[in-house]
Amino acid sequence: MGLLLIALALPILPLAVWSVSFRWFYPDVVPSVWSLEAWVAVLSPANNLAAATADTVAVASLVTVLATLIGVPAGRALGLNEFPGKRVVELLILAPIVVPGVAVALGIHGLFIRYGIANSRLGVAVVHLVPTVPYLTLLVSGVFANFDTDYELQARSLGASALATQRFVTLPAVGPGVAVGALFTFLISSSQYVLTLLIGGGEVVTLPLLLFSFARSGENAIAGALSLVYIAPGVVALWLSSRHLSGNSAALGGLQKL
Amino acid sequence: MTRRQRLFHSLAVLAALAGTAAACSTGSSQNESDAVGLVDLEESELAGANWDEIVAEAEGGTVDWFLWGGSDQINSYISTEVADDMAEQFDITINRVGVSDTADAVNQVLSEAEAGRLSDGSVDLIWINGENFRTMKQGGLLFCGYWDVLPSMEFVDRDDPAVLFDFGTPVDQCEVPWNRAQVALIYDSATLTTPPTDIDALLEFACANPGTVTYPAPPDFTGSVFVRHVFYNEADRLFADEGGLDVLLGAFDDEVYEEVAAATWATLNEVEPCLWRGGDTYPADKPALDQLFANSEVSLNMTYEPAEVGLAVDDGLFPETTRTYGLQSGTMANLNFTAIPFNSSNKAAALVVANYLLSAEAQLEKADPAVWGPQTVLDVDRLPEDMQAMFQAVPRHPSVVAPEELAPLALPELQADWVTGIERDWSANVAER
Amino acid sequence: MTVRNKLSENALQRLRIWLLLTPAMTVIVMLFVGGLIAGLARSLNYFPLIGLTEPNLDAYRAVLGDETFLRSLAVTSYISFTATAISSVLAVAAALLLRPLVLRQRLFYFMFSLNLTVPHAVGAIGISYLLSQGGLASRLARSAGLTDRPADFPALVADPWAIGIIVEYVWKETPFIGIVVLAILASVGEDYESAARSLGAGRWQTFRYVTMPLVLPGLVPASVIVFAFTFGAFEVPFLLGRTAPTTLPVLAYRSYTDVDLAARPEAMAISMVIAGTSALIISAYLALTRHYSRG
Repeated sequence: MGLLLIALALPILPLAVWSVSFRWFYPDVVPSVWSLEAWVAVLSPANNLAAATADTVAVASLVTVLATLIGVPAGRALGLNEFPGKRVVELLILAPIVVPGVAVALGIHGLFIRYGIANSRLGVAVVHLVPTVPYLTLLVSGVFANFDTDYELQARSLGASALATQRFVTLPAVGPGVAVGALFTFLISSSQYVLTLLIGGGEVVTLPLLLFSFARSGENAIAGALSLVYIAPGVVALWLSSRHLSGNSAALGGLQKL
Repeated sequence: MTRRQRLFHSLAVLAALAGTAAACSTGSSQNESDAVGLVDLEESELAGANWDEIVAEAEGGTVDWFLWGGSDQINSYISTEVADDMAEQFDITINRVGVSDTADAVNQVLSEAEAGRLSDGSVDLIWINGENFRTMKQGGLLFCGYWDVLPSMEFVDRDDPAVLFDFGTPVDQCEVPWNRAQVALIYDSATLTTPPTDIDALLEFACANPGTVTYPAPPDFTGSVFVRHVFYNEADRLFADEGGLDVLLGAFDDEVYEEVAAATWATLNEVEPCLWRGGDTYPADKPALDQLFANSEVSLNMTYEPAEVGLAVDDGLFPETTRTYGLQSGTMANLNFTAIPFNSSNKAAALVVANYLLSAEAQLEKADPAVWGPQTVLDVDRLPEDMQAMFQAVPRHPSVVAPEELAPLALPELQADWVTGIERDWSANVAER
Repeated sequence: MTVRNKLSENALQRLRIWLLLTPAMTVIVMLFVGGLIAGLARSLNYFPLIGLTEPNLDAYRAVLGDETFLRSLAVTSYISFTATAISSVLAVAAALLLRPLVLRQRLFYFMFSLNLTVPHAVGAIGISYLLSQGGLASRLARSAGLTDRPADFPALVADPWAIGIIVEYVWKETPFIGIVVLAILASVGEDYESAARSLGAGRWQTFRYVTMPLVLPGLVPASVIVFAFTFGAFEVPFLLGRTAPTTLPVLAYRSYTDVDLAARPEAMAISMVIAGTSALIISAYLALTRHYSRG
């Protein structure tokens, strides 16, 4: 167990050390000069961390809202019902999961430029729906598959309004699963590189783009610091949702349904 | 339904849906009939405007400036010094868009042109090199013909071939000079006392110290220029009686190219087993080579911009004992420029920025290694005397070779067709052989 | 009367279902299918806007006849197969081994799933700082006296066997598959296995005939997702791969961003091949596992 956990943490370790190093050359195992310079550089306005964070959060929030509004109804329809054409629908929803995004993004790019939504946060958010909507739909359909609609019927027959039923019966049952799905949707959106690069055209610079630009130019210390900034929200999100995840396969049921 | 029927049913529905999508995507919205092409100042909305009118027009505008964003210090120079000055003096907002490769910016303009977006484009200014400039010029993607209205052009030597031709492509007032650059080699004086001084010596050095020399894979900018130095060296040998490498300095000549290229590939293949990893692979790009150099995996590195070595030392990427020098057999020199795309949505503001960057004050500030450090493109002799003195007094970085030492070694660049040929053929003839 | 009521209720119910599905279907058809078709059209040199109205197969001919492409296809398949296979095996092993710990303790579960949230780009950068010849592992080897200089350390990044890329994928995907498997193990409990053991089945027999069939329904889709992802992923080979031959997504992106416009149809053709091949391999794999899980 310990070994495994070490293996899991190993690639993160050099990033952390690099972020507080200065002139760390081979063959030094530890940096000869420790420095917070990379953190200062990352936080300096010239390097656009604030702007990139703003872009990342704006896009991912929009994606999360849209994908939830689109994916939850579809997930409910799929999770609770058998109907003719269901296989076609499932096939369509699975397709974006198994067909790589790169293959679709190149085609979408031309369309977006023509309709004037390339190079904008909106365009990037819309293209992020391609990987997120199918994910969320499947996940939510798994949540609803474990949900007994009889509870809704009982509530209604006991005189509860449709809204009250949703509020006091449906939401508590599926809420945690949907929340975890929304959280992960946020993470999926904020980790997109190629889609953002292509559709954002350099004007929507999210954290992964900023990170790539430093990593590719050999600024290891800055790339290390930026990596830590970048993974922090995901770790926090996981910690917050781990209560709902552990021992409860509902949130991951969507993935099993493939 | 049987399984098979269901499958066909699914496919039919898919095809129908797909057809609808295709119809949506190709049917609507016809664009204005104007074709893509170079846009001259006199045909643009700024026709006939004098400088003051352009400055007035630029007020309150935003310039989306696409440039390579991999250097902390250059980013900082643009986002603070330049951006602050532009905001204070001209009420212009600079939006620095960092790209990892200038071709991304060119591609952006290209995609817009292809999609019919002929005005109101998203790129206003690009920091550009010769090859990308040629692509944009040939594709008719540039705004041109404005040198005479730019006050800062007064101090540029407009007869200098390096100003008139960018990698052999006539500039035709389609871009504005910004920095002077010349190739230099890099080594660590703590571990290497006598680095090789010309190409032949360098190749010998590689085999005397196996595994410690390599070059980035063309079409990487720096890798390509290294191969061009070998190319020059071969031409010098092959055409010794006909003026050496002068035979390369003109329009592309297929016969000469084939002969020199064959010799170049032979030489590079011969040295390949001596290179880093036995030439099994090459660093993907200049940053990858920098990384190898920083870790002393290789003992020689190269750059088209010696000032960047000073930055790398200050940033702690290279050891303080790093030094740069020019080859006695010559190293290539050129200028790099800023260019305005034909469909820029704010050409007036872009012109004001380009003019500012070329001004003596900005060129002087940027020449300081503490800020950045590249050589000025201005003809310093034309400047007022007090300015000349200030340029002479610019501090030097100990790791950066003195310009007066490097300048006499300058070799002219090839025209872009040669470069394209070399970059295209290297992979098949060297890397994958 | 009641029959008619029942019918209309049915129709209403069906309408409701399709209304719920419409937004999702619209997104997928417009963006995904639309994007594929736009790409397909461009790959066939069909682009009316710039006067190309005669579709042809030139781009496919150029791409399929190009050795660079074929080598790239081989490399991409090799990386995806290897990474998926190793991750799947490790994930099942880890899930079985860690089952008691991970399922009972939130902290262990958290640790195990931690790098699911770490983006591949960060993982790739971390791996390069760790495993490159000038990286941390190489420095440790040198301080342990195993090597003298960077070149003595084996090439694990940008190497011919794509070890760096595969390590990154295994590092990131093992916990993903592992968690799917763990979720199943948790939901079915240990009753079946204990029953098999009490009926005299050996460890291997229990694993082969009880545990495996139980986890397969989760393992198969999870490994399909991993395969599809690694086949089409750009970031990791871009950061950790060799310059040539590179993987198909990197090749497609390079051609697309080539400033020579003529390369665009080829980029689209490559991306169509990526889409087609991954769909093909995945359906073959699914058919195969379906066959085996029945037999």
